[in-house]
Amino acid sequence: MKNCLRELRAGKEWTQSDLADKVGVSRQTINAIETEKYDPSLPLAFKVAKLFKLSIEEIFKHDDC
Amino acid sequence: MNIKPNLPEEIEPGSLHYSFRTDMKVNGWSWVAVLTSFVGEVFWLPHHKDWPVAARAVIALVPLLASLLWVRSVLQWMRGMDELHRRITQAATVFATVATLFIVTALHFLVVAGVFPSRFQSTAGFVVIWLVVCFYILGHNIFNRRYQ
Repeated sequence: MKNCLRELRAGKEWTQSDLADKVGVSRQTINAIETEKYDPSLPLAFKVAKLFKLSIEEIFKHDDC
Repeated sequence: MNIKPNLPEEIEPGSLHYSFRTDMKVNGWSWVAVLTSFVGEVFWLPHHKDWPVAARAVIALVPLLASLLWVRSVLQWMRGMDELHRRITQAATVFATVATLFIVTALHFLVVAGVFPSRFQSTAGFVVIWLVVCFYILGHNIFNRRYQ
C-alpha cells in the first residue's frame, strides 16, 4: 500500500518523533509506515487521517499518491 | 500528548533506550524462577530425598509459579506497546516458545535413544527459561530487521 505520510509530515515541519508522539506510537512505526514496510491498522490510520484533517483514502492508496 | 508506548529496546541491555528499572519490572520474575529452579534442582532436591513430600513439592513448584508471574508481567508490558512492536514481540515470543519446545523434545528423544547420557534428561527449569530468553532475542532480531 502506498501512502503520502512523509510529504504530509514534511508539510507540517514535524519530525518522525513529533508525529509518533501525536498518534501515540514509536518513531520506528512511523518510519516503517513511511517507507511502506508496514501497513497501519485501521484505528491508527484513522488517527493519522484525523490529525491531518484528511480522509484515510487521501493518505493511504493502492497506487501512487 | 499521548503516553509513550513501551519499546522492546527498553529491556535489551546495551541498547540506547535500556532501562534497568523497566527490565526488572518485566523480567524480575524470570530471575526468581531461574534462581529458585537452580537452587532447588541442583542443590536441594537431588541431595535431600528424605525431606517431607510437601516441602519437596513446594521447592519443585515455586519456579513454575514464578514463571507464570513472569508471563503475566510480559503480557502486561506487551499491552503497552504500539501495534508494530506488539506484532514483532508476539512473533518473537511464538518463535522462542516453539524453538524451546523443539530443543527440549529433541533432547528428550536423544536421551531415550541413548545418544546423550541420562543426566541430560532433567530439562531443568532454569535451562528452559534461558533457552526461551535466548530464542526470544534471536527471534526479535529476525522479525525486527524487516521493519528497519
